[in-house]
Amino acid sequence: MTLAARGPRYRRRRATDLIAKVLGVAATLFGLFFLAWILLVSLRNGVHALNLQTFLQATPSPGGQGGLANALFGSLVMSAIGVAIGAPLGVAAGTYLSEFAERQPALRETVRFVNDILLSAPSIVLGLFIYTLAVRTVGHFSGWAGGIALALIVLPVVVRTTDETLRLVPNVMREAALSLGIPRWKVTIQVLYRAAAPGILTGILLGLARISGETAPLLFTALNNQYWAENLNGPTASVPVVIFQFAMSPYDTWHDLAWAGAFIVTVFVLLLSVGTRAYLLRNRMDSAG
Amino acid sequence: MNDRTSDPSLAEATRTKISVRGLDFYYNASHALKNVQFDVPEGKVTAIIGPSGCGKSTLLRVFNRIYSNYAGLRATGQVLLDGENILADSYSLNRLRTRVGMVFQKAVPFPLSIYENVAYGLRHHVKLPRVQLEERVEVALREAALWSEVKDKLQSSALSLSGGQQQRLCIARAIALRPQVLLLDEPTSALDPIATGRIEELLNQLQRDYTIVIVTHNMQQAARVSSYTAYMLLGELMEFGATAELFTRPKKRQTEDYITGRFG
Repeated sequence: MTLAARGPRYRRRRATDLIAKVLGVAATLFGLFFLAWILLVSLRNGVHALNLQTFLQATPSPGGQGGLANALFGSLVMSAIGVAIGAPLGVAAGTYLSEFAERQPALRETVRFVNDILLSAPSIVLGLFIYTLAVRTVGHFSGWAGGIALALIVLPVVVRTTDETLRLVPNVMREAALSLGIPRWKVTIQVLYRAAAPGILTGILLGLARISGETAPLLFTALNNQYWAENLNGPTASVPVVIFQFAMSPYDTWHDLAWAGAFIVTVFVLLLSVGTRAYLLRNRMDSAG
Repeated sequence: MNDRTSDPSLAEATRTKISVRGLDFYYNASHALKNVQFDVPEGKVTAIIGPSGCGKSTLLRVFNRIYSNYAGLRATGQVLLDGENILADSYSLNRLRTRVGMVFQKAVPFPLSIYENVAYGLRHHVKLPRVQLEERVEVALREAALWSEVKDKLQSSALSLSGGQQQRLCIARAIALRPQVLLLDEPTSALDPIATGRIEELLNQLQRDYTIVIVTHNMQQAARVSSYTAYMLLGELMEFGATAELFTRPKKRQTEDYITGRFG
Protein backbone atom coordinates (compact mmCIF):
# COMPACT_ATOMS: atom_id res chain seq x y z
CA MET A 1 0.00 0.00 0.00
CA THR A 2 1.37 3.41 -0.95
CA LEU A 3 1.52 6.39 1.37
CA ALA A 4 -1.26 8.17 -0.49
CA ALA A 5 -3.46 5.13 -0.11
CA ARG A 6 -3.53 5.54 3.65
CA GLY A 7 -4.31 9.27 3.48
CA PRO A 8 -7.64 11.04 4.01
CA ARG A 9 -8.47 10.94 0.30
CA TYR A 10 -8.24 7.21 0.34
CA ARG A 11 -10.46 6.98 3.37
CA ARG A 12 -13.00 9.28 1.74
CA ARG A 13 -13.01 7.09 -1.37
CA ARG A 14 -13.50 4.03 0.79
CA ALA A 15 -16.41 5.71 2.55
CA THR A 16 -18.03 6.73 -0.76
CA ASP A 17 -17.57 3.20 -2.01
CA LEU A 18 -19.21 1.79 1.10
CA ILE A 19 -22.17 4.18 0.87
CA ALA A 20 -22.71 3.30 -2.81
CA LYS A 21 -22.55 -0.40 -2.01
CA VAL A 22 -25.00 -0.11 0.88
CA LEU A 23 -27.44 1.93 -1.24
CA GLY A 24 -27.13 -0.56 -4.11
CA VAL A 25 -27.75 -3.56 -1.90
CA ALA A 26 -30.62 -1.79 -0.16
CA ALA A 27 -32.30 -0.97 -3.46
CA THR A 28 -31.91 -4.57 -4.59
CA LEU A 29 -33.33 -5.91 -1.34
CA PHE A 30 -36.22 -3.43 -1.53
CA GLY A 31 -37.19 -4.80 -4.94
CA LEU A 32 -36.62 -8.41 -3.97
CA PHE A 33 -38.62 -7.97 -0.79
CA PHE A 34 -41.82 -7.18 -2.67
CA LEU A 35 -41.18 -9.91 -5.21
CA ALA A 36 -40.67 -12.43 -2.41
CA TRP A 37 -43.75 -11.13 -0.62
CA ILE A 38 -45.93 -11.50 -3.73
CA LEU A 39 -44.55 -14.97 -4.41
CA LEU A 40 -44.99 -16.11 -0.82
CA VAL A 41 -48.53 -14.80 -0.43
CA SER A 42 -49.71 -16.22 -3.74
CA LEU A 43 -47.94 -19.46 -2.91
CA ARG A 44 -49.57 -19.77 0.51
CA ASN A 45 -53.07 -18.77 -0.54
CA GLY A 46 -52.79 -20.38 -3.95
CA VAL A 47 -51.63 -23.80 -2.81
CA HIS A 48 -54.26 -23.72 -0.10
CA ALA A 49 -57.00 -23.07 -2.67
CA LEU A 50 -55.64 -25.46 -5.26
CA ASN A 51 -57.11 -28.93 -5.72
CA LEU A 52 -58.10 -31.31 -8.47
CA GLN A 53 -61.46 -29.61 -8.92
CA THR A 54 -59.67 -26.43 -9.93
CA PHE A 55 -58.54 -28.13 -13.12
CA LEU A 56 -61.68 -30.16 -13.82
CA GLN A 57 -64.68 -27.94 -13.11
CA ALA A 58 -65.92 -24.74 -14.66
CA THR A 59 -66.19 -21.48 -12.73
CA PRO A 60 -69.03 -21.65 -10.15
CA SER A 61 -72.02 -19.40 -9.66
CA PRO A 62 -71.71 -16.85 -6.84
CA GLY A 63 -70.86 -18.62 -3.61
CA GLY A 64 -70.83 -22.09 -5.21
CA GLN A 65 -68.08 -24.65 -5.59
CA GLY A 66 -66.18 -25.08 -8.78
CA GLY A 67 -62.88 -24.73 -10.58
CA LEU A 68 -61.10 -22.80 -13.27
CA ALA A 69 -61.12 -25.37 -16.08
CA ASN A 70 -63.01 -23.19 -18.58
CA ALA A 71 -60.82 -20.19 -17.81
CA LEU A 72 -57.61 -22.23 -18.08
CA PHE A 73 -58.77 -23.66 -21.38
CA GLY A 74 -59.82 -20.25 -22.65
CA SER A 75 -56.48 -18.75 -21.68
CA LEU A 76 -54.65 -21.61 -23.35
CA VAL A 77 -56.57 -21.33 -26.59
CA MET A 78 -56.46 -17.55 -26.80
CA SER A 79 -52.74 -17.47 -25.97
CA ALA A 80 -52.21 -20.11 -28.65
CA ILE A 81 -54.07 -17.95 -31.17
CA GLY A 82 -52.01 -14.95 -30.08
CA VAL A 83 -48.74 -16.80 -30.60
CA ALA A 84 -49.95 -18.50 -33.79
CA ILE A 85 -50.70 -15.12 -35.36
CA GLY A 86 -48.08 -12.96 -33.68
CA ALA A 87 -45.03 -15.22 -33.90
CA PRO A 88 -44.95 -15.95 -37.67
CA LEU A 89 -45.76 -12.33 -38.53
CA GLY A 90 -43.17 -11.14 -36.05
CA VAL A 91 -40.45 -13.47 -37.31
CA ALA A 92 -41.22 -12.46 -40.89
CA ALA A 93 -41.15 -8.74 -40.10
CA GLY A 94 -37.99 -9.07 -38.00
CA THR A 95 -36.33 -10.99 -40.82
CA TYR A 96 -37.28 -8.28 -43.27
CA LEU A 97 -35.83 -5.59 -41.03
CA SER A 98 -32.56 -7.38 -40.47
CA GLU A 99 -31.99 -9.12 -43.80
CA PHE A 100 -33.94 -7.56 -46.62
CA ALA A 101 -34.35 -3.86 -45.85
CA GLU A 102 -30.78 -2.86 -46.72
CA ARG A 103 -31.93 -0.86 -49.71
CA GLN A 104 -34.89 0.80 -47.97
CA PRO A 105 -33.21 2.34 -44.91
CA ALA A 106 -35.94 4.96 -44.40
CA LEU A 107 -38.70 2.36 -44.40
CA ARG A 108 -36.64 0.09 -42.15
CA GLU A 109 -36.07 2.74 -39.52
CA THR A 110 -39.72 3.79 -39.67
CA VAL A 111 -40.89 0.23 -39.12
CA ARG A 112 -38.45 -0.20 -36.22
CA PHE A 113 -39.69 3.03 -34.65
CA VAL A 114 -43.37 2.15 -35.09
CA ASN A 115 -42.71 -1.32 -33.71
CA ASP A 116 -41.12 0.19 -30.61
CA ILE A 117 -44.24 2.29 -30.12
CA LEU A 118 -46.42 -0.81 -30.44
CA LEU A 119 -44.12 -2.56 -27.97
CA SER A 120 -44.76 0.08 -25.34
CA ALA A 121 -48.41 0.73 -26.18
CA PRO A 122 -50.67 0.22 -23.14
CA SER A 123 -52.37 -3.14 -23.57
CA ILE A 124 -55.74 -1.63 -22.77
CA VAL A 125 -55.42 0.54 -25.86
CA LEU A 126 -54.74 -2.55 -27.96
CA GLY A 127 -57.83 -4.14 -26.40
CA LEU A 128 -59.97 -1.14 -27.31
CA PHE A 129 -58.56 -1.16 -30.82
CA ILE A 130 -59.54 -4.79 -31.37
CA TYR A 131 -62.88 -4.07 -29.68
CA THR A 132 -63.62 -1.51 -32.38
CA LEU A 133 -62.25 -3.73 -35.10
CA ALA A 134 -63.45 -7.22 -34.24
CA VAL A 135 -66.15 -6.89 -31.59
CA ARG A 136 -68.29 -3.92 -32.63
CA THR A 137 -68.25 -4.93 -36.27
CA VAL A 138 -69.60 -8.42 -35.57
CA GLY A 139 -71.79 -7.31 -32.69
CA HIS A 140 -70.54 -9.67 -29.96
CA PHE A 141 -67.52 -10.53 -27.84
CA SER A 142 -65.49 -13.53 -28.95
CA GLY A 143 -62.48 -15.68 -28.15
CA TRP A 144 -61.14 -14.88 -31.58
CA ALA A 145 -61.09 -11.18 -30.80
CA GLY A 146 -59.25 -12.01 -27.55
CA GLY A 147 -56.65 -14.04 -29.41
CA ILE A 148 -56.13 -11.27 -31.95
CA ALA A 149 -55.70 -8.68 -29.20
CA LEU A 150 -53.06 -10.91 -27.59
CA ALA A 151 -51.37 -11.34 -30.98
CA LEU A 152 -50.87 -7.57 -31.09
CA ILE A 153 -48.88 -7.85 -27.87
CA VAL A 154 -46.79 -10.81 -29.04
CA LEU A 155 -46.04 -9.26 -32.43
CA PRO A 156 -43.74 -6.36 -31.48
CA VAL A 157 -41.83 -8.51 -28.96
CA VAL A 158 -41.07 -11.11 -31.63
CA VAL A 159 -40.26 -8.49 -34.29
CA ARG A 160 -37.73 -6.88 -32.03
CA THR A 161 -36.03 -10.04 -30.77
CA THR A 162 -35.89 -11.58 -34.26
CA ASP A 163 -34.44 -8.39 -35.73
CA GLU A 164 -31.89 -8.06 -32.95
CA THR A 165 -30.83 -11.70 -32.85
CA LEU A 166 -30.37 -11.88 -36.62
CA ARG A 167 -28.28 -8.73 -36.54
CA LEU A 168 -26.00 -10.46 -34.03
CA VAL A 169 -25.19 -13.22 -36.53
CA PRO A 170 -21.73 -12.37 -37.89
CA ASN A 171 -21.83 -10.94 -41.38
CA VAL A 172 -19.14 -13.37 -42.49
CA MET A 173 -21.64 -16.19 -42.08
CA ARG A 174 -23.99 -14.53 -44.57
CA GLU A 175 -21.18 -13.82 -46.98
CA ALA A 176 -19.77 -17.35 -46.69
CA ALA A 177 -23.16 -18.87 -47.50
CA LEU A 178 -23.89 -16.39 -50.28
CA SER A 179 -20.45 -16.97 -51.79
CA LEU A 180 -21.46 -20.61 -52.26
CA GLY A 181 -24.03 -19.30 -54.72
CA ILE A 182 -26.97 -19.97 -52.43
CA PRO A 183 -29.83 -17.48 -52.73
CA ARG A 184 -30.50 -15.04 -49.96
CA TRP A 185 -33.84 -16.47 -48.80
CA LYS A 186 -32.34 -19.95 -48.52
CA VAL A 187 -29.33 -18.64 -46.60
CA THR A 188 -31.71 -16.88 -44.23
CA ILE A 189 -33.86 -19.91 -43.55
CA GLN A 190 -31.22 -22.63 -43.50
CA VAL A 191 -28.22 -20.89 -41.98
CA LEU A 192 -29.18 -17.65 -40.24
CA TYR A 193 -32.34 -18.97 -38.57
CA ARG A 194 -30.35 -21.87 -37.24
CA ALA A 195 -27.72 -19.54 -35.83
CA ALA A 196 -30.37 -17.25 -34.37
CA ALA A 197 -32.84 -19.95 -33.26
CA PRO A 198 -32.26 -19.68 -29.49
CA GLY A 199 -32.82 -15.92 -29.59
CA ILE A 200 -35.90 -16.09 -31.79
CA LEU A 201 -37.41 -18.83 -29.65
CA THR A 202 -36.71 -16.80 -26.53
CA GLY A 203 -38.58 -13.87 -28.05
CA ILE A 204 -41.61 -16.03 -28.78
CA LEU A 205 -41.62 -17.53 -25.28
CA LEU A 206 -41.23 -14.13 -23.66
CA GLY A 207 -44.15 -12.95 -25.75
CA LEU A 208 -46.16 -15.92 -24.51
CA ALA A 209 -45.15 -15.17 -20.91
CA ARG A 210 -46.32 -11.60 -21.36
CA ILE A 211 -49.76 -12.43 -22.71
CA SER A 212 -50.56 -15.21 -20.26
CA GLY A 213 -51.13 -12.65 -17.52
CA GLU A 214 -52.77 -9.92 -19.62
CA THR A 215 -56.21 -8.83 -18.50
CA ALA A 216 -56.87 -5.49 -20.14
CA PRO A 217 -56.90 -6.58 -23.81
CA LEU A 218 -59.27 -9.45 -22.98
CA LEU A 219 -61.80 -7.35 -21.05
CA PHE A 220 -63.04 -5.69 -24.21
CA THR A 221 -62.65 -8.60 -26.56
CA ALA A 222 -63.22 -12.04 -25.04
CA LEU A 223 -65.03 -10.61 -22.02
CA ASN A 224 -65.66 -13.56 -19.75
CA ASN A 225 -67.86 -16.60 -19.54
CA GLN A 226 -68.99 -18.45 -16.47
CA TYR A 227 -69.48 -21.62 -18.50
CA TRP A 228 -67.61 -23.56 -21.11
CA ALA A 229 -67.61 -21.63 -24.34
CA GLU A 230 -69.10 -23.75 -27.10
CA ASN A 231 -66.77 -22.18 -29.60
CA LEU A 232 -64.59 -19.14 -29.98
CA ASN A 233 -67.39 -17.09 -31.52
CA GLY A 234 -68.79 -16.17 -28.15
CA PRO A 235 -67.48 -14.69 -24.90
CA THR A 236 -64.62 -16.79 -23.57
CA ALA A 237 -63.27 -17.07 -20.04
CA SER A 238 -59.62 -16.51 -19.26
CA VAL A 239 -57.67 -16.84 -16.03
CA PRO A 240 -56.64 -13.17 -15.64
CA VAL A 241 -60.18 -11.87 -16.22
CA VAL A 242 -61.60 -14.47 -13.82
CA ILE A 243 -59.06 -13.38 -11.21
CA PHE A 244 -60.13 -9.79 -11.76
CA GLN A 245 -63.81 -10.63 -11.40
CA PHE A 246 -63.51 -13.09 -8.51
CA ALA A 247 -61.04 -11.07 -6.44
CA MET A 248 -63.43 -8.10 -6.46
CA SER A 249 -66.38 -10.25 -5.37
CA PRO A 250 -67.67 -10.73 -1.82
CA TYR A 251 -67.66 -14.56 -1.97
CA ASP A 252 -65.00 -16.66 -0.20
CA THR A 253 -65.09 -19.53 -2.72
CA TRP A 254 -64.49 -17.02 -5.52
CA HIS A 255 -61.61 -15.48 -3.55
CA ASP A 256 -60.01 -18.90 -3.22
CA LEU A 257 -60.34 -19.52 -6.95
CA ALA A 258 -58.80 -16.12 -7.66
CA TRP A 259 -55.83 -17.10 -5.48
CA ALA A 260 -55.54 -20.42 -7.24
CA GLY A 261 -55.63 -18.68 -10.63
CA ALA A 262 -53.04 -16.12 -9.56
CA PHE A 263 -50.80 -18.92 -8.33
CA ILE A 264 -51.13 -20.90 -11.58
CA VAL A 265 -50.38 -17.88 -13.78
CA THR A 266 -47.43 -16.82 -11.61
CA VAL A 267 -45.88 -20.28 -11.63
CA PHE A 268 -46.45 -20.66 -15.39
CA VAL A 269 -44.82 -17.33 -16.23
CA LEU A 270 -42.00 -17.94 -13.76
CA LEU A 271 -41.20 -21.38 -15.17
CA LEU A 272 -41.46 -20.08 -18.71
CA SER A 273 -39.05 -17.23 -18.22
CA VAL A 274 -36.63 -19.14 -16.00
CA GLY A 275 -36.73 -22.09 -18.40
CA THR A 276 -36.16 -19.82 -21.40
CA ARG A 277 -33.18 -18.19 -19.76
CA ALA A 278 -31.70 -21.53 -18.75
CA TYR A 279 -32.14 -22.81 -22.31
CA LEU A 280 -30.52 -19.70 -23.73
CA LEU A 281 -27.63 -19.93 -21.29
CA ARG A 282 -26.97 -23.58 -22.04
CA ASN A 283 -27.07 -22.81 -25.73
CA ARG A 284 -24.56 -19.99 -25.38
CA MET A 285 -22.22 -22.26 -23.47
CA ASP A 286 -22.58 -24.93 -26.12
CA SER A 287 -21.53 -22.60 -28.89
CA ALA A 288 -18.72 -21.17 -26.80
CA GLY A 289 -17.33 -24.59 -25.90
CA MET B 1 10.39 -19.24 -53.09
CA ASN B 2 8.55 -21.12 -55.73
CA ASP B 3 10.99 -22.56 -58.25
CA ARG B 4 8.44 -22.52 -61.05
CA THR B 5 8.43 -18.75 -61.13
CA SER B 6 12.18 -18.54 -61.40
CA ASP B 7 11.88 -19.97 -64.87
CA PRO B 8 10.47 -17.09 -66.91
CA SER B 9 9.59 -19.22 -69.93
CA LEU B 10 7.26 -21.32 -67.81
CA ALA B 11 5.75 -18.26 -66.25
CA GLU B 12 5.12 -16.81 -69.68
CA ALA B 13 3.35 -19.92 -70.79
CA THR B 14 0.58 -19.71 -68.19
CA ARG B 15 -2.90 -18.85 -69.34
CA THR B 16 -4.77 -15.91 -67.94
CA LYS B 17 -7.72 -16.86 -65.71
CA ILE B 18 -9.01 -13.50 -64.60
CA SER B 19 -8.34 -10.39 -66.58
CA VAL B 20 -9.00 -7.10 -64.82
CA ARG B 21 -9.55 -4.18 -67.19
CA GLY B 22 -10.03 -0.57 -66.11
CA LEU B 23 -11.71 -1.53 -62.84
CA ASP B 24 -13.02 1.27 -60.66
CA PHE B 25 -14.84 0.75 -57.40
CA TYR B 26 -16.91 3.13 -55.32
CA TYR B 27 -18.22 3.03 -51.77
CA ASN B 28 -20.94 5.60 -52.28
CA ALA B 29 -18.85 8.66 -53.22
CA SER B 30 -15.47 7.36 -52.14
CA HIS B 31 -13.32 6.03 -54.93
CA ALA B 32 -11.78 2.82 -53.55
CA LEU B 33 -10.21 1.26 -56.64
CA LYS B 34 -8.75 3.37 -59.40
CA ASN B 35 -8.37 1.96 -62.89
CA VAL B 36 -6.96 -1.38 -61.77
CA GLN B 37 -5.61 -3.52 -64.54
CA PHE B 38 -3.80 -6.87 -64.37
CA ASP B 39 -4.08 -10.54 -65.27
CA VAL B 40 -4.41 -13.37 -62.78
CA PRO B 41 -2.64 -16.42 -64.21
CA GLU B 42 -4.36 -19.79 -64.15
CA GLY B 43 -3.26 -22.52 -61.76
CA LYS B 44 -1.05 -20.26 -59.66
CA VAL B 45 -1.23 -18.49 -56.35
CA THR B 46 -1.49 -14.74 -56.79
CA ALA B 47 -1.04 -12.61 -53.68
CA ILE B 48 -2.44 -9.12 -53.22
CA ILE B 49 -0.47 -7.11 -50.69
CA GLY B 50 -0.51 -3.55 -49.49
CA PRO B 51 -1.09 -1.42 -46.40
CA SER B 52 -4.47 -1.31 -44.63
CA GLY B 53 -7.15 0.47 -46.59
CA CYS B 54 -5.34 0.14 -49.91
CA GLY B 55 -8.27 -1.70 -51.49
CA LYS B 56 -6.85 -5.21 -51.56
CA SER B 57 -9.89 -6.81 -49.92
CA THR B 58 -12.19 -4.66 -52.03
CA LEU B 59 -10.50 -5.96 -55.15
CA LEU B 60 -10.90 -9.56 -54.00
CA ARG B 61 -14.55 -8.99 -53.19
CA VAL B 62 -15.19 -7.84 -56.75
CA PHE B 63 -14.08 -11.23 -58.09
CA ASN B 64 -17.22 -12.99 -56.80
CA ARG B 65 -19.39 -9.87 -56.61
CA ILE B 66 -20.00 -10.41 -52.93
CA TYR B 67 -19.96 -6.61 -52.59
CA SER B 68 -23.26 -6.50 -54.48
CA ASN B 69 -25.16 -7.44 -51.31
CA TYR B 70 -24.67 -3.96 -50.02
CA ALA B 71 -26.35 -0.76 -51.08
CA GLY B 72 -24.16 2.02 -52.41
CA LEU B 73 -21.29 -0.18 -53.63
CA ARG B 74 -20.52 -0.04 -57.33
CA ALA B 75 -17.89 -1.47 -59.68
CA THR B 76 -17.26 -0.25 -63.22
CA GLY B 77 -14.90 -1.59 -65.84
CA GLN B 78 -14.37 -5.19 -66.73
CA VAL B 79 -13.36 -8.34 -64.89
CA LEU B 80 -13.08 -11.15 -67.39
CA LEU B 81 -13.25 -14.71 -66.12
CA ASP B 82 -12.17 -16.95 -69.00
CA GLY B 83 -12.94 -14.02 -71.30
CA GLU B 84 -16.45 -13.30 -69.98
CA ASN B 85 -17.23 -10.14 -68.07
CA ILE B 86 -18.48 -11.16 -64.62
CA LEU B 87 -19.60 -7.59 -63.86
CA ALA B 88 -22.20 -7.80 -66.62
CA ASP B 89 -25.77 -8.21 -65.38
CA SER B 90 -26.15 -11.14 -67.73
CA TYR B 91 -23.51 -13.11 -65.79
CA SER B 92 -25.61 -14.80 -63.14
CA LEU B 93 -24.44 -14.75 -59.52
CA ASN B 94 -25.28 -18.42 -59.30
CA ARG B 95 -22.93 -19.27 -62.16
CA LEU B 96 -20.21 -16.94 -60.91
CA ARG B 97 -20.21 -18.31 -57.40
CA THR B 98 -20.02 -21.93 -58.45
CA ARG B 99 -16.88 -20.96 -60.39
CA VAL B 100 -15.35 -18.66 -57.80
CA GLY B 101 -15.20 -19.80 -54.17
CA MET B 102 -14.26 -17.64 -51.21
CA VAL B 103 -12.65 -18.10 -47.79
CA PHE B 104 -12.79 -15.29 -45.26
CA GLN B 105 -10.50 -13.89 -42.60
CA LYS B 106 -12.63 -15.19 -39.78
CA ALA B 107 -13.44 -18.88 -39.99
CA VAL B 108 -17.18 -19.05 -39.48
CA PRO B 109 -18.57 -22.56 -39.89
CA PHE B 110 -22.33 -22.77 -40.32
CA PRO B 111 -24.11 -23.96 -37.17
CA LEU B 112 -24.38 -27.44 -38.69
CA SER B 113 -22.43 -30.67 -38.45
CA ILE B 114 -19.00 -30.96 -40.03
CA TYR B 115 -20.47 -33.10 -42.80
CA GLU B 116 -23.36 -30.73 -43.49
CA ASN B 117 -21.03 -27.74 -43.65
CA VAL B 118 -19.23 -29.29 -46.61
CA ALA B 119 -22.35 -30.78 -48.17
CA TYR B 120 -24.34 -27.55 -47.91
CA GLY B 121 -23.33 -25.96 -51.21
CA LEU B 122 -23.47 -29.29 -53.03
CA ARG B 123 -27.01 -29.98 -51.87
CA HIS B 124 -28.14 -26.71 -53.38
CA HIS B 125 -26.36 -26.92 -56.72
CA VAL B 126 -26.32 -30.59 -57.63
CA LYS B 127 -28.76 -33.31 -56.72
CA LEU B 128 -26.50 -36.21 -55.88
CA PRO B 129 -27.38 -39.64 -54.58
CA ARG B 130 -26.27 -40.10 -50.98
CA VAL B 131 -23.24 -42.21 -51.75
CA GLN B 132 -21.89 -39.73 -54.27
CA LEU B 133 -22.54 -36.82 -51.94
CA GLU B 134 -20.57 -38.61 -49.23
CA GLU B 135 -17.77 -39.14 -51.70
CA ARG B 136 -17.67 -35.48 -52.70
CA VAL B 137 -17.61 -34.42 -49.05
CA GLU B 138 -14.77 -36.82 -48.34
CA VAL B 139 -12.77 -35.61 -51.35
CA ALA B 140 -13.23 -31.99 -50.32
CA LEU B 141 -12.16 -32.75 -46.75
CA ARG B 142 -9.14 -34.68 -48.01
CA GLU B 143 -8.17 -31.84 -50.33
CA ALA B 144 -8.43 -29.46 -47.40
CA ALA B 145 -6.16 -31.80 -45.38
CA LEU B 146 -8.82 -32.20 -42.72
CA TRP B 147 -10.18 -35.69 -43.43
CA SER B 148 -7.94 -37.65 -41.08
CA GLU B 149 -8.83 -35.34 -38.20
CA VAL B 150 -12.61 -35.38 -38.62
CA LYS B 151 -13.47 -38.67 -40.33
CA ASP B 152 -14.71 -40.21 -37.08
CA LYS B 153 -16.84 -37.26 -36.04
CA LEU B 154 -18.48 -36.02 -39.21
CA GLN B 155 -21.80 -35.60 -37.42
CA SER B 156 -20.43 -33.47 -34.58
CA SER B 157 -20.96 -29.74 -34.60
CA ALA B 158 -18.45 -27.84 -36.70
CA LEU B 159 -18.14 -25.41 -33.81
CA SER B 160 -16.29 -28.08 -31.82
CA LEU B 161 -13.25 -27.80 -34.12
CA SER B 162 -10.19 -25.68 -33.35
CA GLY B 163 -9.64 -22.36 -35.12
CA GLY B 164 -7.21 -23.81 -37.65
CA GLN B 165 -9.48 -26.78 -38.30
CA GLN B 166 -12.45 -24.46 -38.74
CA GLN B 167 -10.55 -22.49 -41.37
CA ARG B 168 -9.64 -25.69 -43.24
CA LEU B 169 -13.31 -26.67 -43.00
CA CYS B 170 -14.19 -23.36 -44.64
CA ILE B 171 -11.71 -24.18 -47.40
CA ALA B 172 -13.28 -27.64 -47.79
CA ARG B 173 -16.71 -26.03 -47.92
CA ALA B 174 -15.58 -23.69 -50.70
CA ILE B 175 -13.77 -26.32 -52.80
CA ALA B 176 -16.54 -28.91 -52.46
CA LEU B 177 -18.27 -27.12 -55.33
CA ARG B 178 -15.11 -27.56 -57.42
CA PRO B 179 -14.73 -23.90 -58.28
CA GLN B 180 -12.07 -22.83 -60.74
CA VAL B 181 -10.92 -19.90 -58.65
CA LEU B 182 -10.46 -19.76 -54.89
CA LEU B 183 -10.37 -16.37 -53.20
CA LEU B 184 -8.85 -16.09 -49.72
CA ASP B 185 -9.16 -12.90 -47.68
CA GLU B 186 -6.40 -12.93 -45.05
CA PRO B 187 -7.20 -16.55 -44.21
CA THR B 188 -4.51 -16.99 -41.58
CA SER B 189 -4.51 -13.67 -39.77
CA ALA B 190 -6.47 -15.13 -36.86
CA LEU B 191 -4.43 -18.34 -36.65
CA ASP B 192 -1.31 -19.38 -34.77
CA PRO B 193 1.94 -20.08 -36.70
CA ILE B 194 1.42 -23.85 -36.83
CA ALA B 195 -2.12 -23.62 -38.17
CA THR B 196 -0.89 -20.93 -40.58
CA GLY B 197 1.85 -23.26 -41.81
CA ARG B 198 -0.68 -25.99 -42.53
CA ILE B 199 -2.89 -23.65 -44.54
CA GLU B 200 0.09 -22.39 -46.54
CA GLU B 201 1.14 -25.97 -47.29
CA LEU B 202 -2.41 -26.64 -48.37
CA LEU B 203 -2.44 -23.68 -50.75
CA ASN B 204 0.69 -25.03 -52.36
CA GLN B 205 -1.11 -28.30 -53.09
CA LEU B 206 -4.37 -26.68 -54.12
CA GLN B 207 -2.81 -24.54 -56.86
CA ARG B 208 -2.57 -27.64 -59.04
CA ASP B 209 -6.34 -27.64 -59.37
CA TYR B 210 -7.37 -24.10 -58.58
CA THR B 211 -6.41 -20.59 -59.46
CA ILE B 212 -5.83 -18.98 -56.09
CA VAL B 213 -5.97 -15.31 -55.18
CA ILE B 214 -4.96 -14.50 -51.62
CA VAL B 215 -5.08 -11.17 -49.84
CA THR B 216 -2.53 -10.95 -47.08
CA HIS B 217 -1.03 -8.23 -44.93
CA ASN B 218 1.89 -10.51 -44.25
CA MET B 219 4.62 -10.00 -46.84
CA GLN B 220 6.55 -13.09 -45.78
CA GLN B 221 3.43 -15.10 -46.41
CA ALA B 222 3.00 -13.60 -49.87
CA ALA B 223 6.62 -14.45 -50.61
CA ARG B 224 6.20 -18.00 -49.32
CA VAL B 225 2.99 -19.01 -51.01
CA SER B 226 2.56 -17.01 -54.19
CA SER B 227 3.98 -17.11 -57.69
CA TYR B 228 2.68 -13.65 -58.55
CA THR B 229 2.15 -10.61 -56.39
CA ALA B 230 0.12 -7.47 -56.82
CA TYR B 231 1.08 -4.49 -54.67
CA MET B 232 -1.69 -2.01 -54.04
CA LEU B 233 -1.52 1.46 -52.58
CA LEU B 234 -4.39 3.92 -52.02
CA GLY B 235 -6.70 2.11 -54.42
CA GLU B 236 -4.18 1.85 -57.21
CA LEU B 237 -2.29 -1.16 -58.42
CA MET B 238 1.31 -0.01 -58.03
CA GLU B 239 3.03 -3.07 -59.33
CA PHE B 240 2.23 -6.56 -60.48
CA GLY B 241 4.67 -9.30 -61.40
CA ALA B 242 6.30 -12.58 -60.52
CA THR B 243 6.70 -12.72 -56.74
CA ALA B 244 10.46 -13.36 -56.96
CA GLU B 245 10.88 -10.33 -59.17
CA LEU B 246 8.67 -8.02 -57.14
CA PHE B 247 10.36 -8.85 -53.88
CA THR B 248 13.94 -8.74 -55.12
CA ARG B 249 13.86 -6.18 -57.91
CA PRO B 250 10.78 -3.99 -57.45
CA LYS B 251 10.29 -1.62 -60.34
CA LYS B 252 8.70 1.14 -58.33
CA ARG B 253 10.04 3.12 -55.45
CA GLN B 254 6.78 2.79 -53.45
CA THR B 255 6.88 -1.00 -53.73
CA GLU B 256 10.44 -1.06 -52.49
CA ASP B 257 9.57 1.21 -49.58
CA TYR B 258 6.73 -1.10 -48.58
CA ILE B 259 8.50 -4.43 -48.88
CA THR B 260 11.59 -3.18 -47.10
CA GLY B 261 9.41 -2.01 -44.25
CA ARG B 262 10.09 1.69 -44.63
CA PHE B 263 6.39 2.29 -44.92
CA GLY B 264 3.14 0.55 -44.12
